[in-house]
Amino acid sequence: MCELDIAGGRLSLMTHVVAGYPDLESSLELAVAMADSGSDMIEVQIPFSDPLADGPVIMKANQVALDAGMTPVQALEMVRELRVSTGIPVFVMTYANIPYSMGLKRFVTMALEADVNGLIIPDIPFDSSLQEFFKLVSEHRLNNIYVVSPDMEPGRLRDAIGSSSGFVYTTLRVGITGADRGNISTKGLEFVRTVKRYTTLPVAAGFGISSPEQFRSLEGIADIGVIGSKLIKIYDTSGAHGVEKFVKRCVSDHL
Amino acid sequence: MFNEEQYFGEFGGRYVPEALSSALDELDRAYRRLKDDNEFKHELESELNDYVGRPSPLYLADNLTSNLSGSKIYLKLESHNHTGAHKINNAVGQALVARELGKNVLIAETGAGQHGLATATVAARFGMGCKVFMGEVDMKRQYPNVYLMRLLGADVIPVPHGTRTLKDAINATLKYWIENIEDCHYLLGSALGPHPYPAMVRDFQSVIGREVREQIMEKEGRLPDMLVACVGGGSNALGLFHPFMDQENIRMIGVEAGGRGDGPGEHATRIAVSQPKPGIAHGYLSYFLQDENGQLLPTHSVSAGLDYAGIGPEHAWLYKEGRTEYVSVRDHEAVEAYKVLAGSEGIIPALESSHAVAFALKEAPKHGGDHIMVVNISGRGDKDIFITAALTDKDNWKNFLKEEACDV
Repeated sequence: MCELDIAGGRLSLMTHVVAGYPDLESSLELAVAMADSGSDMIEVQIPFSDPLADGPVIMKANQVALDAGMTPVQALEMVRELRVSTGIPVFVMTYANIPYSMGLKRFVTMALEADVNGLIIPDIPFDSSLQEFFKLVSEHRLNNIYVVSPDMEPGRLRDAIGSSSGFVYTTLRVGITGADRGNISTKGLEFVRTVKRYTTLPVAAGFGISSPEQFRSLEGIADIGVIGSKLIKIYDTSGAHGVEKFVKRCVSDHL
Repeated sequence: MFNEEQYFGEFGGRYVPEALSSALDELDRAYRRLKDDNEFKHELESELNDYVGRPSPLYLADNLTSNLSGSKIYLKLESHNHTGAHKINNAVGQALVARELGKNVLIAETGAGQHGLATATVAARFGMGCKVFMGEVDMKRQYPNVYLMRLLGADVIPVPHGTRTLKDAINATLKYWIENIEDCHYLLGSALGPHPYPAMVRDFQSVIGREVREQIMEKEGRLPDMLVACVGGGSNALGLFHPFMDQENIRMIGVEAGGRGDGPGEHATRIAVSQPKPGIAHGYLSYFLQDENGQLLPTHSVSAGLDYAGIGPEHAWLYKEGRTEYVSVRDHEAVEAYKVLAGSEGIIPALESSHAVAFALKEAPKHGGDHIMVVNISGRGDKDIFITAALTDKDNWKNFLKEEACDV
């Protein structure tokens, strides 16, 4: 697997965009603006009609993107442009039916052509019938980032981490995206520490990070903090400029 | 590390975020233990007999039979159950499992409202909290059930997302469950979703077919030639079919909702019309109505309970194995069958079940009197009055609604 270039132990920021929200061009511009203002890596979501792990904010963005005609092929082309213009790592997040209906081989081939740094597909469990998917990603040395959750049983958690490459994505709470519930729980932080003990891979933490302070509180605990729904909310009220300001506030303290 | 136990051939599985894995494992373990536990079986049976009112009748529709001069038509009257549909069989079973798990809130999705009603009913019966998620479109067209669920103490939560029908209600319930996994049991209403639901729901509904087997032996001294049931997610059909799987000569017909046409968004026919396309959504792999990019398509049916883009994974497998057959019936044919059954037998079927009746009306004349057909009347039609009255008796109904609105 390709090693991620995560700078000397400091906390990296991964920001999330829904490809095609509110339209293809704007979502690409937003992702570039995120990179320019200090985001270390970008998570690009290929929209799906039934996004099971997403709360209302990202769900709505998926729907708007689909209504505007966004397709998986266009989303992967956008990723390719993003890779070329920013040079920072880009991860593709989506749901099982997108690669499954396209054909797993074709999807992986297209992801490689787009120079994707890894895939994040939260509804393909390691013990599912799509073993071909895991075989393909490992054959092609494409990172497969597994999403793990705090109340997983220990044996299953270890197996899940073992099937991850690139980094491991921990959720800070048992839930869906978009929670805005104040402080990150001690239980959530403890879970990140547990995952760190199980793996030598970098560990990302997300789900419920909605302020620069919360992001920075992950310093020394997680390697990567992920911000998603909050950025869509900011974008909806104050546009790409608002997102840039927020991203700068997240990364400024550790520059 | 493929976990084959979660599959029916290539279909089924547990395609959900890991946040649900421990709750699903816990449910799976509890159900495996309970289904062979004598005390549990005894309690379930006594609830089904004394509360639900089982066994439900197997009724020879002799007027219909002589009018059609073909197959001998028996109706399995799940419509006679408490709450008026087969849904209560599964709701009682899962409520008992939930109680074993120490969960005190039942959450459920509903389309036609029959499963929501059954869940609200068992929640009241067992002293549990209840939240029912229902698409806004369905709330409007099945308002009588919304009222009844609330009367029973359930919190009915409108789902404003997506197509605002059953599929979106399933998504909303799964998401609520992920957020509230500690005290909630998701009482899923059809033989679909992540493992163990498809198998567990089928088992709880199999009481239908087990009774039919005994009843038909008593009445006819032999097993039937054909079984017919409507298929939304597919639980009433599997409940009827499953106990007959060892009988290779019995034809099993699932009737899908043909809606108003064959175009995308006009029907909910996953298998019968064109080449079915496998997909992954709502936690399982099966046939889904989807576009060329894998996005689920909107669906239409006059019956909310059949208005769904997916079909339970066991149906997909049985179809692929060639064991079951699927046909499609249009909205107008279902409404016509609803009227025919009311007039000929004095039985008003749910619009869902009317699809099965519509197929029987077409099929029966093709056979001789020695052919025995069993049609599952999965529910009764009272709940559909706002749809059927508007279609079959428009002016009177309109006047009635106007006057009522003024009086209120």
